[in-house]
Amino acid sequence: MELFTRLQESGFAAWVASSPSLLAYPTILTLHTVGMAIVVGTCAVMDLRLLGVGADVPLTALRGVPRLVWTGFLINAATGLALFTTDAEHKAVQTVFYIKLALIFGALLIYGRIRRLVFRRPGALAAPISSEVKALAVLSLILWTGATVAGRLMAYLL
Amino acid sequence: MDAFIEFIRSTQLSEILRNQVGWLWPLCESLHFIGLCLLIGAAGFFDLRLLGFMKGVPLRAAKRFIPWAMAGFAVNLLTGLIFFISQPQQYATNPSMWFKVLFLLIAGINAMLFETSYSDRLLALPSEAEMPVSAKVIGAVSLVSWFAVLYFGRMLPYLVPNPRSGV
Repeated sequence: MELFTRLQESGFAAWVASSPSLLAYPTILTLHTVGMAIVVGTCAVMDLRLLGVGADVPLTALRGVPRLVWTGFLINAATGLALFTTDAEHKAVQTVFYIKLALIFGALLIYGRIRRLVFRRPGALAAPISSEVKALAVLSLILWTGATVAGRLMAYLL
Repeated sequence: MDAFIEFIRSTQLSEILRNQVGWLWPLCESLHFIGLCLLIGAAGFFDLRLLGFMKGVPLRAAKRFIPWAMAGFAVNLLTGLIFFISQPQQYATNPSMWFKVLFLLIAGINAMLFETSYSDRLLALPSEAEMPVSAKVIGAVSLVSWFAVLYFGRMLPYLVPNPRSGV
């Protein structure tokens, strides 16, 4: 706990939390939302395609997905850490925050598994999409939706 | 503007939304964020194709994601109206709100322009063809305006004379 207290009392956390500059808290929070839109939006499009939406979109079109997902993820890891410092003592004991982290972790594991099964296995891009991959795509949509809701509820739950 | 805000606030619907259901606001916020992910993901996919990325994907095929973008938009229009009707004073005089509406209009007019004047020609292009400048402009305007809508939406609590934090 002492670590979180020190974090929250650091000059950086004070700047993020209470600088009147729009570049501090407001912009960092907005970038966190931009990153979310990129990660969740990209994964949603990939999942929907795997579930049969736009079946005439070749799967090779999804080659650029990792670059977008990791760009969004890095934005959100960085902005997320900055936001965490401003309220570290509280966030460190906030249940819904841990639920959000767990959902993101689960979603990324599923994402990795989909990439391995569909995009890195020779010949898989041309083969019909297996029911295992479809189940993973559904799970991915559920986990990202859950993470988004958990993130939003961090502002409302204790 | 004050009379307009007062009128909205005095309606029974506004009162019900504001006072009677405490979980309504967080529920709508959650839906609004899910809707924005769907809208930006699906519309962004189509915009990137218009910009010339993912060569080999027929534009007609990429367009099959547009109904999902429209579903996200519908969710956000409905939840957005709920926010506005229950707390009009937070939005009606907020400059951030007007920028948000401005970029919504730009995105809408841009999409209409695509549908009415460019869609037939662009959808008929071979999937390997270079995208014409008109397609790239429409794709870029769409992508930029949707992110601007997100930006001014998220900045709503902060671009006001007495900013609140945390929400």
